Amino acid sequence: MSKAIEIENLSKKFQLGAIGTQNLRHWLQGLMSKDPRSKEEFWALQDISFDVAPGEVIGLIGRNGAGKSTLLKIISRISEPTSGKITLNGRVSSLLEVGTGFHPELTGRENIFLNGSILGMTRKEIKSKFDEIVDFSGVEKFIDTPVKRYSSGMYVRLAFSVAAHLEPEILLVDEVLAVGDHEFQKKCLGKMGDISTSGRTIIFVSHNMGAVAELCSRAILFEQGKLITDGTVDDTIGKYIQGSTGPDQGAFEPSPNEHAWFTKMELKRQDDLVHTLDLNHDFSLELTFEVRTPTDDLDVAVILMKGTQRVFFSIHKDQLETHFFAQGTHSFRMTLPSMYLTGGNYHFDIYLRRPSDGSHYDAQPQRIQFTVDELSLNTHHKGYAQKRGGLTIFPGEWKKVNE
Amino acid sequence: MHKTVITHGKAWFDFGLKELYRYRELLWILTWRDLKVRYAQTIVGVLWAIINPLFTLVVLTFVFKTVADVDTGGYPHLLFTLSGMAAWTYFSSVVAGAGGSIISSQQMVSKVYFPRLLLPLSKAVGALVDLAVVLVILTIMLFWYGFAPSSTLIYLPAFIFLAILAGVGVGLWISAMSIRFRDFMYVTPLLLRLGMFITPIAYPVSSVGEKWETLMYLNPMTGIIEGMRWSILGIHPPTEGLTLSIIVVAVVFISGLIVFNRIERKIADII
Repeated sequence: MSKAIEIENLSKKFQLGAIGTQNLRHWLQGLMSKDPRSKEEFWALQDISFDVAPGEVIGLIGRNGAGKSTLLKIISRISEPTSGKITLNGRVSSLLEVGTGFHPELTGRENIFLNGSILGMTRKEIKSKFDEIVDFSGVEKFIDTPVKRYSSGMYVRLAFSVAAHLEPEILLVDEVLAVGDHEFQKKCLGKMGDISTSGRTIIFVSHNMGAVAELCSRAILFEQGKLITDGTVDDTIGKYIQGSTGPDQGAFEPSPNEHAWFTKMELKRQDDLVHTLDLNHDFSLELTFEVRTPTDDLDVAVILMKGTQRVFFSIHKDQLETHFFAQGTHSFRMTLPSMYLTGGNYHFDIYLRRPSDGSHYDAQPQRIQFTVDELSLNTHHKGYAQKRGGLTIFPGEWKKVNE
Repeated sequence: MHKTVITHGKAWFDFGLKELYRYRELLWILTWRDLKVRYAQTIVGVLWAIINPLFTLVVLTFVFKTVADVDTGGYPHLLFTLSGMAAWTYFSSVVAGAGGSIISSQQMVSKVYFPRLLLPLSKAVGALVDLAVVLVILTIMLFWYGFAPSSTLIYLPAFIFLAILAGVGVGLWISAMSIRFRDFMYVTPLLLRLGMFITPIAYPVSSVGEKWETLMYLNPMTGIIEGMRWSILGIHPPTEGLTLSIIVVAVVFISGLIVFNRIERKIADII
């Protein structure tokens, strides 16, 4: 079977300095001075090759500036490659933003036709889909009102609706999903799900790992213009999360004293430092501390905080029998199971505590800040609804008791 | 199945005409959008579109009637000037519109692919509506003054076609240049104002004397305006100078296409 998209050794170079609009004076000055700065180059994409089979739904992930969007722009023919070749079999539509070409003076109805044809639909197609589009957007009542009188929510809903009804063989989508209120976002994701199972070839760029995991069958990771991983969604997302080590992960100034103090605190997934967690993997907190005066009056205490809310308090004695600490370096690891924390931002307050009077040898509040991305699990736990609230995901043990 | 191959660069004379045809609906829709937006506001908006050229018309007529009494071939000065102004107004609105068309659609150009040529072309099509309005007014005035349309009227479409090519050609040059250098946005109005004086709108080209006539015809609008006046009023039949104007139109149009074509795929990176 022939490929839907074939990308061969694609590269894209930007000329820094010389890029952008200039005025004539600068241009002439540039010609005269032979300033080397104007020749500075930047490779946004380097030697990218991959194929996409018809009907495949591929996620492109990577940090900002990794080259995902540049690649999408080249495939959609907005921007030109510096070298390499792309072959596309089928009609292509790209959705790099919603509402391209919308004009505030025109009515909703008129903008549907305008936007639709800019996106490559024929008049006939738009006409046949018109009712569906209006229905999906939920702005029927205002369809003959100029869109400048729309609320921003209505505007975005209408814009997305047009885009969602495109029917090309190849669809390129750049993170336009996150539009509108929560309700509408769910509707959008649902619609994207429908589209992704309709046999169309889709390339989807997103920072939302949950959406990628849910919609895509394969994912590609980019880093600084290079293709790093091309494989299953789980592998690629795993690699991405591994790579996203926080700059200040565990960094703190130890405060030595005559008793005991922390020297290292790290959040790890397996053996990798992380600061973003997904719900599918265990993670652990590793604490290393120095004891100067041997003692049996010491607890390693950890409080997990979500914002200002306390999630739990735990001390090493919950599980360990260690009571006496000799002089020297000690290391503890606390492991937390997967499917435990709901999405959000967390941090730990960590203490070396004297249980006899409750005072501290060393207090390290607000350490190890991390994020839990709850969106990344939908494929594995279909029953789990996003944003269900609560501090933890606690499945409990459910049984049917009566007959 | 539709197949597209994307590589760096393209041939000088590959204008993507097939693609342009495939996107023809978008041409109408862009044109319609411009007209709709222009006339959507108020009835006064439409009036202003007429008042502006009307003012120029009155001034030009007055100057060339009283100050320099030119040979109008027996027609009232007003009719003579209006027939010249029809083509000039069209030309200048296409040049200004097409010249700024890419820059004013930056957002669209950097987010969606479509043949960029459609943007300047839509301005040329849209301005035809204004031209039609002027021609209707001209016809009414012709009857008002008791003249019958000239039998040379059948040549009018040919001269309108030339005016389209001239307007689009110059517009393509300006839009291609102003993508790189915004200075050109300021050059356009200057160029058009100068053009208005070196184009025989309110006077026949013959009145400048033979010595200057050839030079005048280097301005493509000279041939087109003389030709249009001849088709409508049947006076001052075109001379060999027209050939010169047509050659200039062809050169400007084709070179404009090439220049625009060269920069087309770089627009999103530069703009």
